Amino acid sequence: MEDFLKSIMLGLASGGIYALVAVSYVIIYKATRIFAFSQAGMLVIGSYTLWQCLIVWSLPIWLSILISLAIGAVIALIIERTCMRPLIGQPILAPIVVTLGVMLLFRGIALLFWHGEVRGYGGSFLPLGAWEIGFLSLPKIQVYGFAICMIVIALLISFYKYTRTGLGMRVVHEDHLVAQNLGINVKRIFKYSWIFSCSVAVIGGMLLGNIQGVGLDLDANGLVAIAAVLFGGLESFGGAVIAGLAIGVIQIFAIQYLGALLPGEITMLVPFVFLLLILLIKPYGLFGLVRIERL
Amino acid sequence: MAVDIRNVAKKREQRYSYGLTLLRESIEKDRDLPTEDEIFKKVILKAEDITISFGGLNALSDVTLELREGELLAIIGPNGAGKTTLLNVISGFYRAQKGEVYFQDQKITHFSSHRIAAMGICRTFQNIALYTGLSVIDNIIAGRHPHINYNFLNGMLYFPWARREEARQRQIAEDIVDFLEMEQVRNTTVGMLSYGLRKRAELGRALALEPRILLLDEPMAGMNLDEKEDIARFIIDIHEFLRIPIVMIEHDMGVVMDIADRIVVLDFGVKIGDGLPEEIGKDPKVVSAYLGATGERVAWKIS
Amino acid sequence: MALNVDRPCGTFDRNYYQAMEIFRTPLRKFLMVAFIVVMYVFAFILDDYLLSILIVFCAFSVGMTGLQIITGYAGQISLGHAAFMGVGMYTVAIFQEHLGFNFWMALPLAGLIPMLIGMLFGIPAVRIKGLYLAFASLAAHFVIVYTINNWRSVTNGTDGMYLHRPAPLLGIDFLIDQYYYILVLTVTIVMIYFAKNLTRTKLGRAFVAVRDNDIAAEVMGINIAHTKVLAFGIGCFYAGIAGAIGGGYYEYVNVEWFTLTDSIWYLGFLVVGGLGSIFGAIAGAVVWKTLDELSTLMTPLAEALLGGMAFYASAAFSLVIYSLIVIVVLVLEPRGINHRWQIIKRSYRLHPFPY
Repeated sequence: MEDFLKSIMLGLASGGIYALVAVSYVIIYKATRIFAFSQAGMLVIGSYTLWQCLIVWSLPIWLSILISLAIGAVIALIIERTCMRPLIGQPILAPIVVTLGVMLLFRGIALLFWHGEVRGYGGSFLPLGAWEIGFLSLPKIQVYGFAICMIVIALLISFYKYTRTGLGMRVVHEDHLVAQNLGINVKRIFKYSWIFSCSVAVIGGMLLGNIQGVGLDLDANGLVAIAAVLFGGLESFGGAVIAGLAIGVIQIFAIQYLGALLPGEITMLVPFVFLLLILLIKPYGLFGLVRIERL
Repeated sequence: MAVDIRNVAKKREQRYSYGLTLLRESIEKDRDLPTEDEIFKKVILKAEDITISFGGLNALSDVTLELREGELLAIIGPNGAGKTTLLNVISGFYRAQKGEVYFQDQKITHFSSHRIAAMGICRTFQNIALYTGLSVIDNIIAGRHPHINYNFLNGMLYFPWARREEARQRQIAEDIVDFLEMEQVRNTTVGMLSYGLRKRAELGRALALEPRILLLDEPMAGMNLDEKEDIARFIIDIHEFLRIPIVMIEHDMGVVMDIADRIVVLDFGVKIGDGLPEEIGKDPKVVSAYLGATGERVAWKIS
Repeated sequence: MALNVDRPCGTFDRNYYQAMEIFRTPLRKFLMVAFIVVMYVFAFILDDYLLSILIVFCAFSVGMTGLQIITGYAGQISLGHAAFMGVGMYTVAIFQEHLGFNFWMALPLAGLIPMLIGMLFGIPAVRIKGLYLAFASLAAHFVIVYTINNWRSVTNGTDGMYLHRPAPLLGIDFLIDQYYYILVLTVTIVMIYFAKNLTRTKLGRAFVAVRDNDIAAEVMGINIAHTKVLAFGIGCFYAGIAGAIGGGYYEYVNVEWFTLTDSIWYLGFLVVGGLGSIFGAIAGAVVWKTLDELSTLMTPLAEALLGGMAFYASAAFSLVIYSLIVIVVLVLEPRGINHRWQIIKRSYRLHPFPY
């Protein structure tokens, strides 16, 4: 029982971050119908910029986070402006391959500037220690991290729901041409989507760097989040959250209970086998939209 | 003065000698063309009590459609009446929630659409759906897909028989190109063609499938008078020479009244009329639903 | 009326066989034969270093052709192409090591086994419209890498495996690089010829139909799920063969050679080369491997300049420069080198009246 609860808790903690990263994919997919693989690389960049500000330049934590977010937003602008906008109207393959290229570009940049070494934030920017509740001990890092993820996602969802720009984003999601005809600036919506998505990914990178250590391998989490996006349905925030948490829990459980049966490291195997199962059983995900094709 | 029927037939053969003869030969290899006795009598396609709804909205409710051998059936109705949906159900693209589709007494309701197409129910589309990256001739050969008799390994190794088969298919496709008078553009990528030519290429692709039934979804939409006349001529030629029963959705009442043998009228997913063109033109229900409240103009047109 | 300028002026088809030929003019036929002859002659005049580059070109051209079939013709994305290449290499190694097959017997298996595995992974993805094969192949990558890493009794885990070139045949000793190069070149030419045949016959047209308009294809009698699985399978077959002939050259295989990064480069340089043509695939492979060779040549220079930092620098530079090339080429010319080449040819033919 104790193990069981612990696993669930651990799973939810890592699942929260998967959910966050999954949301960052969903934002771009909703606006542009492009699956932006580059967000996996954005995690690495986010975690390293925070490390640069916090450790190398010894800036206060709030300023470091602000700078990292700002850098994330600027990178988003650059990608959107230079790579994505010229490819509007091209075959869908081109922008997807570009996002893959950007993902590796981020990896290269991280390698170039920070040599790909695993770093830490010198302790943690979130409080350390743990709360003891009965036999459970809840590490504060994980709890706060989970809370931050959920708050960010909640803010995003309410932004989509209650603001004018958010409404525009939902319209763009339905149909680009219709949105354009309704007087919505579709290009601006694309821009906002990229900025939101990259900022979310930067936050995810910071939290991951805090827990797992800053390093190049953080983008593996981004790949795991792909399974979450598919599970939740490519265009649904709620689905991404639920699926992210589910993937986190499933991963921990699999490691706990199947780890003994299977040789080697199965952290990456589990989400992707799960992904194949999703494709087999429920290909459009939990809340994915099954469009009625017209002829 | 007795007309020499054989002579008329011969003249007709000559008239078609520039196109479709090879296709007809190819069709006759598989099956006999319908005889005079069967025409207008034998039911070839039957859609029974088709009901389909999208999110609570009934697109079709209990629509029954019968197509007889050698018939040119027109479906008319206002926009959103469910005409295209009915064709989609017949070609297996949508699944009807209720009702069955029979093709030559065989139930095909649950067949997948590629199988239905291979059986010979071929169609064109309202919004052109060509393979944009291929040339006209390749589009037509691609349409012959179910009739090409070699597997991909033979194609990959390009055995002599595969080569011969390819040449034969190309010959038939060229025949169709000749018939549709698209010789000059046969090697042009269809993405570069004008709307009218694309519609024609689509008709060619549907023909290439050696249709048993041809479903045409607004073949003349958005065309000028000349193009419309061309298409009407093609449709009549196909109908007469290959004796293919045709279901046609069309808004141009003039054309419909001229060439259709029978007309079915849909309105809000319900069949409100079914009969000869003259009857339909006089049916008050149809006139009020589709032709306008008074129907004066159409009545004038028909007379 | 749109003019057809894909062929030089004055070329007319007199029968349908002529219309179906790959090379339509005598000049082109001659150039092709001359090119192939020169490639064979290279075996006897180039040194081992240049031959090694050519062997790599050949192997990756075959692999890239496979990806072209998946991506350029059938319009699906594969993110596991490098992994399937690895499966091909390991197939040869495993069958040689455990079952005592020789190279000739293992070579077809090196194509067939990746093909089967690929089709198995492809099946869940192809039932759905859209680019879901990208996700399925990503999963395939991780499953394959996991299996190779951990099925130690068969694959030797992370230590890699040795494989052997074919035994001497008719007095030709394939252990000598120039003869092995001839073998590789022959396999490459045959595979590319097959691919060309595939794309101009029934299945190739079905691929393009599925790519261009899958809904219409379905209603026009093409079984799209079947076609997509077959496209993925054939692409993986090519990847496996590419792996086998490449692995035969190194006579060693290690799981670390097939990373996700390589799969992404495969895709990236395919698009750089140009989608939808065999020439584009070969161009992409050549550009990619030339860059690889250049970055290897630059390493000593980097070491001299940067000292201990050289390791990071060269790894990072190849990542940064490759991705910049892929991104820039895609943004400026989303249809790749091949498209540019067609435009050049066209404007040459139309000169001096460009309309």
